[in-house]
Amino acid sequence: MIAEDSVLLREGLARLLGDAGFDVVGQCGDAEELLIKVRSYPPDVAIVDIRLPPTHQDEGLRAALRIRMEHPSVGVLVLSQYIELGLAMKLLSESAEGAGYLLKDRIGDVKEFVAAVRRVADGGSALDPIIVSTLLARRRSDDPLARLTPRERDVLELMAGGSSNQGIADKLVISLRAVEKYVSSIFGKLGLPSTGSESRRVLAVLLYLRS
Amino acid sequence: MAATALAVGGQRARPPPKALWSIGVAGCGAAAVSIALLVANDGGSEPRVHAALVGWIVVAYVLCGLIAWTLRPDSRFGPLMAAAGFAPLVSTLAVSSADLPYTVGEALRLLPVVLFLHVFLAYPTGRLRGLLERVLVAAAYLVAIGFRLPTMLLGGSGSDNLLEVVHQPGSAAVVRWAQVIGISTVVLAAVGVLIARVRVAGRPLRRPRDLFAMSFVLALVLLAAGVVISNTGGPAKEPMRAVTFAVIGIPPLVFLRALLRSRLARSAAADLLVELRSDPAPAVLRDALARALRDPSLTLVYWLPEFESWADLEGRAVELPQPDEGRATILIDRAGVHVAALVHDPALDNEPELLAAVSAGAAIALENGRLHAELRARLVELRGSRARVIEAGQSERQRLERNLHDGAQQRLIALSLDLGLLEERLSHNPDATGRLREARHEIALSLAELRDVARGLHPAVVSGHGLAVALESLAARAPVRVRLRVDLDARLHEGLEVAAYYVVAESLTNVGKHAQAMSATVDITRVNGQVVVEVVDDGIGGADTERGSGLRGLADRVEALGGRLRVWTPRGGGTRVRAEIPCA
Repeated sequence: MIAEDSVLLREGLARLLGDAGFDVVGQCGDAEELLIKVRSYPPDVAIVDIRLPPTHQDEGLRAALRIRMEHPSVGVLVLSQYIELGLAMKLLSESAEGAGYLLKDRIGDVKEFVAAVRRVADGGSALDPIIVSTLLARRRSDDPLARLTPRERDVLELMAGGSSNQGIADKLVISLRAVEKYVSSIFGKLGLPSTGSESRRVLAVLLYLRS
Repeated sequence: MAATALAVGGQRARPPPKALWSIGVAGCGAAAVSIALLVANDGGSEPRVHAALVGWIVVAYVLCGLIAWTLRPDSRFGPLMAAAGFAPLVSTLAVSSADLPYTVGEALRLLPVVLFLHVFLAYPTGRLRGLLERVLVAAAYLVAIGFRLPTMLLGGSGSDNLLEVVHQPGSAAVVRWAQVIGISTVVLAAVGVLIARVRVAGRPLRRPRDLFAMSFVLALVLLAAGVVISNTGGPAKEPMRAVTFAVIGIPPLVFLRALLRSRLARSAAADLLVELRSDPAPAVLRDALARALRDPSLTLVYWLPEFESWADLEGRAVELPQPDEGRATILIDRAGVHVAALVHDPALDNEPELLAAVSAGAAIALENGRLHAELRARLVELRGSRARVIEAGQSERQRLERNLHDGAQQRLIALSLDLGLLEERLSHNPDATGRLREARHEIALSLAELRDVARGLHPAVVSGHGLAVALESLAARAPVRVRLRVDLDARLHEGLEVAAYYVVAESLTNVGKHAQAMSATVDITRVNGQVVVEVVDDGIGGADTERGSGLRGLADRVEALGGRLRVWTPRGGGTRVRAEIPCA
């Protein structure tokens, strides 16, 4: 399901997802239509532009939050022209499961984008790297982040972005076991309780970084 | 500058000090001569008491007259009073044993009575008003001097009388009695005039005037009685004379007191100016003027040029009273055009200095009020136009930002998507995919730049999602740890949110550039109809608030919304930026 008011982009997205093997069950140009369509044919994932008519203010975000509340099984991936930590927190504040927040630009990187859509459809999460790097870029005096090794920072960044352990292993070209070791080391250094679910840890890391 | 239509002082030059001094010395001399003559020759039982009382009258009238003359050169009252002071000397000559002085003294014996009468009736201007008063005074002079001569010609006043032609004591006594009755009648008529004058006088000034009139009336009644008694050899002649003389000496002192009071009243005008230095409401102005003039009946009327009419404080048209209606008017003009008028009790005309000072004060207050009103109108206009300029700039920027998002950005993203799809299809051709990836990278860079430009134009997230959401990223991007507290129950209007956003953004940028701070706090609260935005850091303080900090632009933005921006930046004490913006 795609909600995007620019016809050019909407059709481009549909083609992209169709090529990638997705079944696009609906396309629409505004939030009202989106909510009706999601109710009629609940999809695995809804891709929602944050700026939708009529006012192009926060209709898209409100629709996304509503879908997450009313249809917890429907993954929601919000696309935005600007990336704001506050919006990410709003979207993921309850849980990061089946939720994603990406810069619109990311759709040009077809592989990554398709992977993110798939993760969200499967109940995982996708958080734009800009959010993660903004949070990591903050200097702090008594910063436990400073105690992380460069490799651990890489792993943390990918983890916060919603990548699975396998995804991290593929991206960093290391073994799955090595990733698991890094993850538990990071959690130990930051004093976070390790959680089983890969998407729950996104929120944990996000909240930790923001505090 | 405003000028009152009333002119006070300066029409007649002050009397030269030399003349005043000589008259003063002459007065003292006259007193001394009278005292000496009386002590030596008075046939009464208490010559010293009588002499002292005459001396007292002479000194009191001459000196008070001179002071009045100096303080009010315009008024004839001072010279008249001083002249009256010399009269007792003349009549005192009658006690002399020498023939000539005796004759002169006898001839002018009643002159003091007439002069005192003249003085009392001529109060306060020195001029007689109306026919009745003129007739009374003329009759008094006629009776006092014109009837005296026949008496003396008929030999009715002692053996030293040089004017005696025939010795006819019987006829002389008749003429003398006619004179006594005539002078008493005139004096009592004057008493009636004075009492009538008091009744006409307005309430505000009655107290000082009452005092005056009472002293006049008392003095005149005693004079009349004294004239009668001294000619009948009635009872208690001596004590009666002493009391009469003592009472006659009182009016100059009462007058002097009133004169000095009216000088003092100028300080009431000074108080008025202090009271009116801030632009008073018309009713407040009227009350202050009424207080300063001690005239509760005072009314303030305004000239309405567009209606060419006078209007009261409620804007109702009124007519200025005619002079014979028992009210007096001062016009307050500015640049030859009426501005307002004070309608007051005519009794106040006796205090021209006070009137002039108070009406000048009123003119200044009215002028101030006009300038204030004009200034306020201009400020409102200026604030409005500044708000409009900022708003116009803001909406133009917002339009540009939206155009960027909906136009260039969307196209670039669509292009990037196309290239991505192409890349997938050409995956067998590494050269092509490499170049496509490069192209996509370029597009990504362009998009990032566009995003920065758009964000600089207008913080879309503020209008889209509110201040709290927008500040979250701002705090996260800040170079120091920021504690953010946004305590707002609802969205604010867009202009206010954008202004608050810029205050925080600019302040945090300054923290990063100059403050060398470890941390900062951002607090946004809503207190008493105001949104308070406060950014505090723990840095080195001493920020330059004028140059390079962008604080001027922030202040413009905040002030355009009717708010104000303040910065505390003590050296070594951190920097606190506080914006207070009203939110109705």
